[in-house]
Amino acid sequence: MVNSKGIRRGTRYMFARDFRKHGVEHLSTYYRVYSRGDIVDIKGNGAFQKGMPHKVYHGRTGRVFNVTKHAVGVIVNKRVRTRVIPKRINVRLEHIKPSTCRIDFLNRVKANDRVKHAAKESGERVPQSLLKRQPKAPALAHLVKTKNNKPELLAPLRFEIIA
Amino acid sequence: MGFVKVVKNKAYFKRYQVKLRRRREGKTDYQARKRLTVQDKNKYNTPKYRLIVRFSKKDITAQIAYSKIEGDVVVAAAYAHELPRYGVKVGLTNYAAAYATGLLLARRHLKAIKLDGTYKGLEQCNGEFYNVEQEGDAAPFKAVLDIGLSRTTTGAKIFAVMKGVADGGIEIPHSETRFFGYDSESKSYNAEAHRDRIFGKHVSEYMTSLKEEDEDAFKRHFSKFIAAGVTAENLEEMYKKAHTAIRANPEAVKKEKKVEKKRWTAKKLTYAERKSRVSTKKAYLLHLKAQMEAQ
Repeated sequence: MVNSKGIRRGTRYMFARDFRKHGVEHLSTYYRVYSRGDIVDIKGNGAFQKGMPHKVYHGRTGRVFNVTKHAVGVIVNKRVRTRVIPKRINVRLEHIKPSTCRIDFLNRVKANDRVKHAAKESGERVPQSLLKRQPKAPALAHLVKTKNNKPELLAPLRFEIIA
Repeated sequence: MGFVKVVKNKAYFKRYQVKLRRRREGKTDYQARKRLTVQDKNKYNTPKYRLIVRFSKKDITAQIAYSKIEGDVVVAAAYAHELPRYGVKVGLTNYAAAYATGLLLARRHLKAIKLDGTYKGLEQCNGEFYNVEQEGDAAPFKAVLDIGLSRTTTGAKIFAVMKGVADGGIEIPHSETRFFGYDSESKSYNAEAHRDRIFGKHVSEYMTSLKEEDEDAFKRHFSKFIAAGVTAENLEEMYKKAHTAIRANPEAVKKEKKVEKKRWTAKKLTYAERKSRVSTKKAYLLHLKAQMEAQ
């Protein structure tokens, strides 16, 4: 049997408000400033029916390409069968929040700039490894206290044939 | 009355969602606040200034502020308790004082942003509807009125504050419909009546009529006025002088405040203190036990 084609079909839980987060929306949602090129997360908010993203964009992340009075235009990649199309959608602010995927990078850029600036002033060379992110290295040798932490000997059970 | 199920049981509290804090306190109307403070996104970081007017029992607060995520920033403030500096020592929450407070706020803020020369506002208050017009290069400073939870009634004191700010030279979008002296039936505005109210004519008329009627009641009601030497005749003069004094020097006076650090909670005990506490308690209880057994 074919599914009904209503735009909000199957969104009973997706657009539902969180537990004990119903009611008036806190104003910082509206105070945030978005500029072109900002990366934003899209999350549909069922309390505001205007300017809602289609269910397919819920949970997606995109770039802002346009800013209007109460909404932003976002470019989101959508997979349509064999290819990915960059789709342009208009979403109101209540369904948008700034993405944290970029902040790690942007903070590192700032920190690196400071390090490089300080190095330039002092005349030292900055090793590139300091500026790069390092993967988590294996743990160094360290002492483990066994005061309230008695070691437990683990051994496999002796093999027994159980009928 | 049989057995009634307890409504406020554990399950009720587990599911209960509180309203926003300032709504719980009954202080903020969020529907109004959203429309007053939120700026269009295509204006990015341009601040949206609002003129906040609040009345308490004995004071009037007038502030100009804009909103940020971290909290609102107040750029200028004026209180009715500053009016004694300008000669108004009594009647600090009446219509005339409200106008004076608004005027003080406007002149103070314009001086701070160096527009007090270009935008002088209405020098002689005549109650007429006045809206600031652009003069020169700089656009007039614009703010929107924020009443809070007060009711919008014709002739309310809140609008006296707004009139004071508008006459001071700040652009506030408004119409004369809610001013004292506006007749909603005939849709006409009586500027003369408004002007009289701004200069406290209604107060001085009451003073004279009460004095004739009942001397004792007059002495009781207007005791502070009599003590300050304010009579029905020189009331208007007092407000006129206050307006000129405000325009002459609207700067705020900074009071030196001694900051005493106060603790609100008990200080955490150190390890030694806790150990000694246990041992003294133990010694005391053993002592009591020994006493009991001795009996």
